[in-house]
Amino acid sequence: MMNERRSLIALAFSAVFATSAFANATVDAPAPTFSATTADGRTVDLASLRGKTVVLEWTNHDCPYVRKHYESGNIPAQQKDAAAKGIVWLQVISSAAGQQGYVDGATATALNSKRGAAPANILLDPSGQIGKAYGAQTTPHMYVITPDGKLAYKGGIDSIATADKSDIAKADPYVKLALADLAAGRKVAQASTRPYGCSIKYAN
Amino acid sequence: MLFRTLLSLTLIFGGTVSHAAPNTARTEQVEGSLLTDHSTVQVGQQLRVALRQRIAPHWHTYWINPGDSGQATSIEWQLPAGATASEVEWPAPSRQALGPITNYGYSNEVLILSRLTVPATASKRFTVTAQVTWLVCKDICIPQTVTLGLDLPVAAVAVAGLDAPLLAAAEAHLPKPAPFPVRVTRTDKSLVLIWPQQQALMQAEFYAEAWGIVNHSAPQALTQQSGTARLELPIGEAPLVAGKALAGVLKIQDSGGEQAYRIQEVPQALAKPTPVEDTGLAAALALALAGGLVLNLMPCVFPVLSIKALSLMNQARDSAATTRRHGLAYTLGVLLSFAVLGLALLALRAAGGEIGWGLQFQSPLFVLGVAWLLFAVGLSLSGLLDVGASAAGLGSDLAGKPGYAGSFFTGVLASVVATPCTAPFMGAALAYALTQAAPVLLAVFLSLGLGLALPYLLLSLWPALQRWLPRPGAWMQTLKQALAFPMYAAAVWLVWVLAQQSGAGGVVLALSGMVALAFAAWLRSVMKPGLLGNGVALLIAAATLACAVALPAQTPSTQAVSNDSEPYTPERLAALRAEGKPVFVNLTAAWCISCLVNERVALSRPEVREAFARAGITYLKGDWTRQDARITALLSEYGRTGVPLYLFFPRGHEGPAAVLPQLLTPGIVIDALSAPAHKE
Repeated sequence: MMNERRSLIALAFSAVFATSAFANATVDAPAPTFSATTADGRTVDLASLRGKTVVLEWTNHDCPYVRKHYESGNIPAQQKDAAAKGIVWLQVISSAAGQQGYVDGATATALNSKRGAAPANILLDPSGQIGKAYGAQTTPHMYVITPDGKLAYKGGIDSIATADKSDIAKADPYVKLALADLAAGRKVAQASTRPYGCSIKYAN
Repeated sequence: MLFRTLLSLTLIFGGTVSHAAPNTARTEQVEGSLLTDHSTVQVGQQLRVALRQRIAPHWHTYWINPGDSGQATSIEWQLPAGATASEVEWPAPSRQALGPITNYGYSNEVLILSRLTVPATASKRFTVTAQVTWLVCKDICIPQTVTLGLDLPVAAVAVAGLDAPLLAAAEAHLPKPAPFPVRVTRTDKSLVLIWPQQQALMQAEFYAEAWGIVNHSAPQALTQQSGTARLELPIGEAPLVAGKALAGVLKIQDSGGEQAYRIQEVPQALAKPTPVEDTGLAAALALALAGGLVLNLMPCVFPVLSIKALSLMNQARDSAATTRRHGLAYTLGVLLSFAVLGLALLALRAAGGEIGWGLQFQSPLFVLGVAWLLFAVGLSLSGLLDVGASAAGLGSDLAGKPGYAGSFFTGVLASVVATPCTAPFMGAALAYALTQAAPVLLAVFLSLGLGLALPYLLLSLWPALQRWLPRPGAWMQTLKQALAFPMYAAAVWLVWVLAQQSGAGGVVLALSGMVALAFAAWLRSVMKPGLLGNGVALLIAAATLACAVALPAQTPSTQAVSNDSEPYTPERLAALRAEGKPVFVNLTAAWCISCLVNERVALSRPEVREAFARAGITYLKGDWTRQDARITALLSEYGRTGVPLYLFFPRGHEGPAAVLPQLLTPGIVIDALSAPAHKE
């Protein structure tokens, strides 16, 4: 009698990806803690940086979007500006061994001096553990952490998602603005923006 | 292929003549070309243009929303004065997963479409240049910019180009507006797309047009039930601002292939909990029992009442013990029928079918069977068919010694003809039961059956109650014959239902079957008492039943459109509500007697019609006589599994409608219309 019934209860999951350890740092929540090896072989613990504003910058020196901001001098200038204000700017390299952007500590340091970059430190994360804890997706992908360890900003370096250097002047410099808001004791106006760039070359 | 190469060469050559950029440029990863549907254009014309990207294996370019990383392809036109370029029209993207990162884009080959308007002032040649920027990624990403040009002769009459079919095909593959209504609801963590979907889907994916509206890499859970598909989209980093529409592309894949639809819909806050969630087991059992009791009084049970009245008087002459046993046998028949119905629904649910109350009446075969059954009972009551109690027991012989089987099958028959009715209270209980585990579902169905059987059972258990029954006598034979007519009337009604389901062919089949049944009954009475008569009669009856297979399978389109109501469609309802107009929705079915009675005694009354007209109400009628997923979807939205359902959306009202009771009077309807606003 039910010859007309043909619809099925289909329970299907489309496009299931390996998202196991991929978390998302949440603005206003405590930033994921980490302990990382630096380019000069030491260890940096996020907890030890309490009391200071911390900037995390995911990077890959060969990514055209990273090159846009280094070759133009935009990111090195921001790094120097941050250092002058006592802000701890950390580069994070999450490219897996053999992938684009993967470098050893010595190369990473040499690259920075060649590019005029001045981060407080370079964190080597070839396992992708820190990147995945933050949900970092692109290079560059920027995070700002308050002195009391809360995430204050996550997203793009600025607002125009291109690899064209001439767009930098026209863009809203989100990280600069966020740091200015924090310095003035304000809430960060744009606390979550779209990151843009190359995908991070995580280990599979 | 050769032609296209030749054309490209021609264009490149033509380009050099008039200093336009070539129409094709190659990088190591991408060959980009501008294709047009005309090789010669005329002034004022709309020219279809495609940017074709041929992408090297394993590389991809990006959609308008590139997903977690990446960058959409962009075209910057340099046009002659007076010419205009449309927005880019994107084909549906696919997902590209790279570890935990998901991108939306294209691989192999893609045609991104635009339209150019040839200016009225154009003369001789129409020359345009496009600066095209794309990001192409594999594991690494390379931004690339190329300059492409078009240089087409302008003539009095445009001439289609060799690429016209290619562009037409690309246009045909663009995401289309969804041909079905898609609703979007919102919870804390996700947006949910809901749309009517009959065919089983193998896959469904939604691509939001803006970054971060949905989590690009999170799996989207698809569920399909009762002709409705739901796709859950976990919210991303940039949740939709309240009141803003969710825009994007819904890609669905069924056995017929892949379709892509454009979606643009403002999410509704999560609907208030439906009675499905409100009803606990105890409440459901009580509601079902009450519903079953009221079922005795419902108009569709009239033929059943006549049977019961007969058998009750029949038993009044017997001993109290016999009467009691008859009552129990009848109850057993009812309960067993409801248990069978419950089990059938469970089996259907397990097999993935749609389930709901009364939906067996959506099967023309079932309707035909019940029509013949009622006709046969009528024949028996008329005295033409003296079927012994042992044979089936229907319309058991008043004078003879009726078997308990007779009472049992009376119970079965009562259950069968009661199914097209929904009584008040029943809807909520059944809606609850149909979503529960097997034991709960069966308990609710048995409770419903008990309610149906209870009045008769009580009468048979307490002889004191039987005192009001009149003494048996010759008048009973007269009454029995008189009661045949409600059965014939019920059979006529079912033939009418069948007419809507299977058209004239079904009616002819049903009526021929009845003639054959009557002939068989007559033959049997004439040729009695020989075995031959029985055999021939049985043969005819069997042949009749076999004919049912010939029931027209195709169903004519008989959505009845009366002059005072419009057929219900979700689009029409949405449009009326968007305009803020008051709407009355009546979900009905030809086989639902309560629906028909409500229409007759309330909805079709002049005072109600007048009230509708005065308030400027649009009256939408949804006919569920045959399966209709769109109506099923609306029913389930209000926690119902069957008709009738009456909804009133007041003027300018947002949110769920006011739900009217299942038994209507003109007063109830008019009061509901004038109620200030629906209480949340």
